[in-house]
Amino acid sequence: MKEIFIHPERSLGVKLIIAIGLSMILVTFIFWFAILHKQKKDIYSITVRAGKSFVNFIKRRARHNMLALNREEIQSAIEDISIAEGVERIRIFDHRGKIYYSTDKVEIGNLVDKTSIACNACHIDLSKPSAIISEPKKWEIYKNLKNFTALKLIEPIYNESSCYTAACHVHKEDEKILGFVEAEISLAILDIAQFRQGLALTGYVFIFFIVISLLIGIILYKIVTSPINELVTGMKKVSEGDLDYRVAIMTKDEIGVLGNAFNSMAEDLKKAKEKLERWSKSLEEEVVKKTEEIRKTQQGLLQAEKLASLGRMAAGVAHEINNPLTGIVTFAHLLKKRFPPESPEAEDLNVIIEQADRCASIIKNLLTFARTTPSEKTIVNINDILSRTIHLVKNQERFFNIKFDINMDKSLLITHGNASQLQQIFLNMFINAADAMNERGTITVATKKKKEDNKTYIEVEFTDTGCGIKPEDMPKLFEPFFTTKPVDKGTGLGLSVSYGIIKNLGGDIKVKSKVGEGTSFFITLPLIEREQ
Amino acid sequence: MKKLLVIDDEPIVRTSCQKILIPEGYEVKIAENGNEGLEILEKERFNLILLDLKMPGIDGVDVLKIIKERWPEIKVIILTGYSTVETAVTTLRMGAFNFIEKPFTPDKLLKSVEEAIGN
Repeated sequence: MKEIFIHPERSLGVKLIIAIGLSMILVTFIFWFAILHKQKKDIYSITVRAGKSFVNFIKRRARHNMLALNREEIQSAIEDISIAEGVERIRIFDHRGKIYYSTDKVEIGNLVDKTSIACNACHIDLSKPSAIISEPKKWEIYKNLKNFTALKLIEPIYNESSCYTAACHVHKEDEKILGFVEAEISLAILDIAQFRQGLALTGYVFIFFIVISLLIGIILYKIVTSPINELVTGMKKVSEGDLDYRVAIMTKDEIGVLGNAFNSMAEDLKKAKEKLERWSKSLEEEVVKKTEEIRKTQQGLLQAEKLASLGRMAAGVAHEINNPLTGIVTFAHLLKKRFPPESPEAEDLNVIIEQADRCASIIKNLLTFARTTPSEKTIVNINDILSRTIHLVKNQERFFNIKFDINMDKSLLITHGNASQLQQIFLNMFINAADAMNERGTITVATKKKKEDNKTYIEVEFTDTGCGIKPEDMPKLFEPFFTTKPVDKGTGLGLSVSYGIIKNLGGDIKVKSKVGEGTSFFITLPLIEREQ
Repeated sequence: MKKLLVIDDEPIVRTSCQKILIPEGYEVKIAENGNEGLEILEKERFNLILLDLKMPGIDGVDVLKIIKERWPEIKVIILTGYSTVETAVTTLRMGAFNFIEKPFTPDKLLKSVEEAIGN
């Protein structure tokens, strides 16, 4: 649009106006010329007719005066007539060209110019008087000395019986033409009138041209430029990203069709853009989701790897420690035998033996849990294992003051695993719960089915009403040897080993805890789905 | 007198066995590894072998295999610091008489030896 404002000659409207204007000028010029020409012709024809009657009048007056032998009267008559406006000269001459009467008295008695229309209107060649044009043109329009248009009329005076029978006997009977009346009339008034008329016509044409141009301009603006501007605005808006913009073109012509096409294009673009945006959004969500999954998996793998390597290390250390322990135990026993049983030495040696036994027990636990050899897996029923474990713990003294809130899913909850391993894990959960509650409180045990990522899992919940886990301890929970229990109560291996086993079975352990309120452990295991 | 051979790479384990068994009237010989143990076995006859499983050089399981091939009549008790049900079952299947977990008490060792060969 800017360019059009800078270069108006590029505007469609201006171009159209110029084209239409030029053709109009051409057409009106032709009309103007034709009208003026026709007018001129008509005026001349009227003038010639008037001139003819004028000349006839002179001729009749001359004839009348001639027959009355009143020659002076002829001269004075033409002089009187010549006073009339526009009459330049009236003269009467005979067939040989000798001027008898004239308003220009000087030329009386002279011969007329032989090249004049007075002669060549009839004679083709003056040397051959008999060669006569049958229908002579008895008038001529020419430019006079003042460069105005003038009309010259010739009227022959024929020999009539009254002429050659007159008493004067001037004319013989065989004479055909006695002479000519010639009148020269200036048409200067007509020239001026015609010039004025032409001027007025030109003015009208000019006004007409201006009005038509304006009208065309307005119409063009209304039906072409304005909607095109609207379209241009729409295109700019759309290209700038405003896909909601619609052009307001209501006409049913080509521009209206164009406008509708533009609107439907914008609509399609909008839909396509929305579709793309939806795609990109869902793609982004998918990417975020997958990234999170990968991060979790990596974290899990890292954790598992960490635990595995720690487990291997623990096993190696434990094995190496067993050898020196053998020495300590053996020598302590052998030494003890040398003292009486109640002696202080024997008691001190008992302490050595007890502490060595404790070491041995820690290492035994460590080796049992850190065992990396895969155990045999069978299809096991989680509810059964859990029930057996609950039965086992309920009969233990430390669980006597603990209430069990059991809520098991009655459906068949089976998975691949090792029953004794799983029992060990569940047992460990109960022991941890009892320790956390100082052996008083409620343990909630629940099993249920849980859907996650299109897979069905068994979820086993262990919730205690114990002291809870401090947030700073959470990350270390599954690390080997991490424990919050008193030195002689826990090795810090239970959860780490449980975690390893559950992970190996394709499951997971999750914890929720609030200090002072309690802790919930959620063990998930893949469910084997069978038709019941 | 009953003759015993202790094959273990740990000096303290060998010494412990000697200290426990010799006063009880057993003749105890020692070998530091599997190869040495087999060399001694080529020369002398023993009633019982106490064999460690995890040793540098030939592994205890391989030594047990060779002993059972060449001298099937000699009883073997496995000493292990790393007992699992699996290894126990494996060694017993291969012909070991029994296995003792480390660390062991003198009484436990004596009891196992007596079970195997009597005193």
